[in-house]
Amino acid sequence: MTFWRTAIQSRRTRPALAALAASSLLAITVSNDDLFVRRSLNDIHVVAPRLHFLTGKTLQRLRDGATAPFDFQLTISAGSKNNVIARAVERFVVSYDVWQEKFAVIRMSDFHKWGMNASPNAAETWCVDNISLPALKLPPGQDLWARLEIRSVDQKGQSSPVSDSGISIISLVELFSRPPRPQQDHWTLETAAFHVDALKQQ
Amino acid sequence: MQSATPMKSVLLPLVAAVTLWGQSADQDLPGQHLLDESPAARSSNSSANEAPAADSSTDINVNSKYIVASIRFVGRSYQLSRAALEEMHRLVGARVNTDELNKLTTHIKNELRAHAVNFKLDRGDQPGSVDVLLEVDKVFDLSIPSFAWNSNEGWAGVGEARATLGSNVFTFDVISDRDSLIEQYAGIQAKFERPVPTTDRVFVAFEFDQYHENYAAATHLALASSESSSSLGAGLYRSRMNFEPSATFLLAKPLTLSVGVSFEELQPDLTAARAESANVVVNTLRYHQSWEDSDAIIQELDAGYNLRAATKLLSSSLGYTRHAASARYHYKNGFQSVEIKLALGLIYGNAPLFERFVLGDSNMLRGWNKYELDPLGGNRLAYSSVTYGYHIMRVFYDAGSVWDQGNPALFKQSVGVGVSSGFGRLQRGAFLLALAFPLRQGHVEPVFIAGMNF
Repeated sequence: MTFWRTAIQSRRTRPALAALAASSLLAITVSNDDLFVRRSLNDIHVVAPRLHFLTGKTLQRLRDGATAPFDFQLTISAGSKNNVIARAVERFVVSYDVWQEKFAVIRMSDFHKWGMNASPNAAETWCVDNISLPALKLPPGQDLWARLEIRSVDQKGQSSPVSDSGISIISLVELFSRPPRPQQDHWTLETAAFHVDALKQQ
Repeated sequence: MQSATPMKSVLLPLVAAVTLWGQSADQDLPGQHLLDESPAARSSNSSANEAPAADSSTDINVNSKYIVASIRFVGRSYQLSRAALEEMHRLVGARVNTDELNKLTTHIKNELRAHAVNFKLDRGDQPGSVDVLLEVDKVFDLSIPSFAWNSNEGWAGVGEARATLGSNVFTFDVISDRDSLIEQYAGIQAKFERPVPTTDRVFVAFEFDQYHENYAAATHLALASSESSSSLGAGLYRSRMNFEPSATFLLAKPLTLSVGVSFEELQPDLTAARAESANVVVNTLRYHQSWEDSDAIIQELDAGYNLRAATKLLSSSLGYTRHAASARYHYKNGFQSVEIKLALGLIYGNAPLFERFVLGDSNMLRGWNKYELDPLGGNRLAYSSVTYGYHIMRVFYDAGSVWDQGNPALFKQSVGVGVSSGFGRLQRGAFLLALAFPLRQGHVEPVFIAGMNF
């Protein structure tokens, strides 16, 4: 108790505790065991075998024929976890064919469509697998960390950061720099430190 | 039918995002990358290659290949503005468009002042077609779901307060009805309904009713005659109270089965007499299907069978079994429509007054006086009706008989003419003004009927 009281009252530890509390609120899952890095040709991909974002009400809405968009952000940090050197963002839209009873996903940057599958897990895996960063531009020999953030997109009642005339980069950066809204589903996963030159080509 | 504007609003930012995040359009790498976070680099990246123009025909919903066969509300009907109805009509027959459906639900949400309106796609009758089901989540709602006025019988009406909390629906009705039963009753009805968690095919409900009764002089007189009341269980009662838990199963798309029990206590008119109980097992099988062969031709079939069996297992002091079957077929072609109704009823044992069959109200064998036909109701029923409609005009012919087992069935007929707000997929709440004439020898005394959803 004394330790915690001292820590809370200390000016030096208070911001750290606040950051810790904020990060624990923001992230549903932050675990080194939940995100892994793999290299495929010239790209860095991540694998999140235990991540499930197509569940609960979202899954029900999908089965009701609605769409479920998700924003993904993959970042790589070098030296320290706060030093982001590479970033990729994607929006994936999942839907469910009410006749064939199968899920379909579309990657909005290039309208790349994924074939149908009856399993929501397969749809989740496809999304994670289809956001990547170029490996060649990552510094070799340095400690790197990959971080994957996913946020559900409220299709109604949310002011969009975009307009017909285009989008500002600040808006997109802000999209993930802002804390998610209370009703917004979100997930954050991080890898353990890795070296890009140690990754085996797959 | 699809609007390109909403799609454009979705696609443009993504096109811009590809550019702004420094990923040239011809690169095959997935994702929109930013490899340098410095403002200078951002500026440089933002002027990178143009992304390919988005294909506005691409719909992000895999169901966009299907045709909307119908749009309807789940659970109950709502009165909507002409603009909202036109918007719904516009979407029927077109391919599924998520943006347009979202616009429609927002429109309806604002119009009904609902907490939320969501759409649900269900497989249509034809392969490649879907039905759009609109679920209105209204936290609190006051309405008059039905009323009727009959120049013979007087008023009947229901005032309803409805609260929705998540998937829980609480309904509180105030009812006054001099029309549909032999008894004239007024009271309250409280109901709680919700789907069973983990499945959307089973709903449970708990209902509590409390009514107070009055009787016409003809009923009092008839009851005094022991001959006519031989099949009547219990005498006149001044109040009745009912508790009814039930579960409804969606067996297949057009077929539902409701099972439950009803514990009904009847307080006799004479305070010294013992209270009677009519505790019954209730089963209802219902079939509802509609077909749309073209824009002009619509067919609808609604059929049901209801069984109420009072049993000693539920400590019922009355013993009886009540069977009731009904069917309604509606055919509409352009401005013309035909509706056929059939109803059959059978009671074994001694059922109380509220269970007995009635004809001659505002709905069945219109124009006749129910007390004249049978002031205590009957334990046998046969009824049919044909209505022809052209635009809002209606003419109808009713025929039927209500009688007691062992007595002859005397068939009565009536005809009528009136105006109605019309049949329709989207306007189930039909308003009817009609003059009905009982067909009999001697004088003709027309009966005026006005009502909605009765």
